[in-house]
Amino acid sequence: MILRNIALRHGRRALAPPLRKSFLRSLTTDTLTQDSISVEESIGQQQTSAYSHELPINPLHFSNPNNATRAKEGVKENYFLTKHLKKRTAKLGAVVEPVYVPDTFVRNPPKPEDVTLELLLASQSHLGHSTSLWNPANQRYIFGIRQGVHIISLEETAAHLRRAAKVVEGVAYHGGLILFVGTRAGQSSAVVKAAELAKGCHLFERWIPGTITNGDQLLAKCDLKVVDKDDTEITSGFETKVEEWTALKPDLVVCLNPLENYIMLHECGLNNIPTMGIIDTDADPTWVTYPIPANDDSIRCIQVIAGVLGRAGEEGQKKRLEAARTGTVTWLPPPGLGRPEVGGEAEKASFAAKSAQSTVVQGNSEASPVFTRQIGDSPEL
Amino acid sequence: MKVSRPPAGLRETLQCACTPRPAVFNRQRAFEIRPRRFTTAPIPQASGGRFAAAPVRFPQQRENRNFQQDDDIGGADAVGPKDLFYARLVPASRSYFTAQPIFTDDLLSLQHLVAKYANLPTVKPGEQPRVSWRGLAEYRDQVGESVKASKYQKIVKLLARLNQIHPSLVPADVQEAINEYRRDIDVFKNVRRPAPVDGMGRTLGAGRRKSATARAWLVEGNGEVLVNGKTLVEAFGRVHDRESVIWALKATNRIDKYNVWGLSQGGGTTGQAEALTLAIGKALMAHEPALKPALRRAGVLTRDPKRVERKKPGKEKARKMPAWVKR
Repeated sequence: MILRNIALRHGRRALAPPLRKSFLRSLTTDTLTQDSISVEESIGQQQTSAYSHELPINPLHFSNPNNATRAKEGVKENYFLTKHLKKRTAKLGAVVEPVYVPDTFVRNPPKPEDVTLELLLASQSHLGHSTSLWNPANQRYIFGIRQGVHIISLEETAAHLRRAAKVVEGVAYHGGLILFVGTRAGQSSAVVKAAELAKGCHLFERWIPGTITNGDQLLAKCDLKVVDKDDTEITSGFETKVEEWTALKPDLVVCLNPLENYIMLHECGLNNIPTMGIIDTDADPTWVTYPIPANDDSIRCIQVIAGVLGRAGEEGQKKRLEAARTGTVTWLPPPGLGRPEVGGEAEKASFAAKSAQSTVVQGNSEASPVFTRQIGDSPEL
Repeated sequence: MKVSRPPAGLRETLQCACTPRPAVFNRQRAFEIRPRRFTTAPIPQASGGRFAAAPVRFPQQRENRNFQQDDDIGGADAVGPKDLFYARLVPASRSYFTAQPIFTDDLLSLQHLVAKYANLPTVKPGEQPRVSWRGLAEYRDQVGESVKASKYQKIVKLLARLNQIHPSLVPADVQEAINEYRRDIDVFKNVRRPAPVDGMGRTLGAGRRKSATARAWLVEGNGEVLVNGKTLVEAFGRVHDRESVIWALKATNRIDKYNVWGLSQGGGTTGQAEALTLAIGKALMAHEPALKPALRRAGVLTRDPKRVERKKPGKEKARKMPAWVKR
């Protein structure tokens, strides 16, 4: 045989490192023979069955029934045992320093009064874009240039954020509908959380052009409900009016990425809807009513700002309900809604519907007393 | 540019109604503007005029004008803020402006479930219980929204993740969500019944190829083959055809284990031989269902759909063009 062929044939095996011992093997005292045997058989089967029509049975696909049942029994107990042990040992050992947990601002967003320059700096809200990409209209928000990147002034950010929080709180206090929009990847959790806190609406996918200007067509199938001053739903008396009602428009739009949502902001402008948006150094601050100069490319910064605005909305809602409880209603009903329909055909229809319901579900006759009580109460307001 | 300024009484109103801040904004004008307050703080006067504006007081007059026509029940004389019925319209769902609120709410609730139970142990891929989910058309009918396929795929992905949770630890709400999207019928229970072995130990298979059809009975034996009452050598002159008839047995090393009695008709020799291949393959699978993967790999379970291509007008045959004559 030619010598170089020997090197070709056996060189790889000769130069290969010695077989490593499995680290797992050194940790556990259990035998791993079953697994390794099945793996070897599988490899052998692959090699033999590659060029033949013999029955290929992969032992990995047919797990040992004994193994499977043993695993099924063990998983549940092991899970609860681990939970128990973790609970017991959580307070043992060294104290871990405060660490950054990625979803902390989504789970528990900061309040407007918690906004500090340190928090904003830590969440990278000061980083703008390359100086060549800047929009000169943002000059007043820019602190300086570092390594070719514009640095946003954190004092401006904090001031504008606090102002925006006040506006959100005020709109929520006066019963306005707040829409949170963040259509970039990764913004959805923050948007949904903010809307949940502020009892507003959220949008984390594409804005459908015309949702405001052509809402009667696009939002025709979306349901509305009638609520009273305490946000309790009024279930009867407004059915016909709600069916005929035009699509709702938001009273305030919070946009986390204005650059991608120009159409939405334009529609808001056409309908005199105030907007607020995160304005990076490459964005145009005149697109929105209330700019918040900050870094819109950092998810962490987005989460802080959306969280602060959501908390502000939560505060406004809380104050509104508190005021309603003490007898002050901070909003006016929309013109044309009026009182719930009573008497005549409407009552007959509702009675028929109710009797039909009661045949299906027993003892659902509370709708009527609630309804009359509301009418009786309203003059006292 | 010279701009004529409106009278002092109108200035403030105009500024609120339209126009951004004027280019020349002198101090004197700034002092003319009445301070307004939008704050919700309980004691507005505490910090003495540092607020931007006064609280919004809805004028009595406007209320009367707006709501007079609606208060038919209360009577036209009894109007005013006390007679207002405080009701307002809000969206039934937080996803109102997505134009697909039911779908978006479904997606969010599933995402919530996945996040909530992310730490539960899961089974290995392929070991989870097989579930067939509702189709897109069914889901669209259910919610009444034109949901795109790619969006419904997100829901299916989340459901697959929920289905990965170890069966012994599936929480009740997860099970409820899975049941909601599960199809009413279990398609995985719908398995084909294996062909029966009759009282004499025979199995029947049928096959087709080109325009030939064949049936084959297979019985345990010592390797005898009869096709239309003739031996294999008498029935097929070509060696290739003989081999393809018993290819199913050859590929699984079972030539000497079974006897074949086959009938084939129609077509030519190749068609009849390969129709028999298919028939014997199916009959063999009835005897030994575990051979299915091997037979599949040997290609004796697949009907070859090729037929003679039809003749077209303007052509001699299916594709052949008539001879081209120069003149």
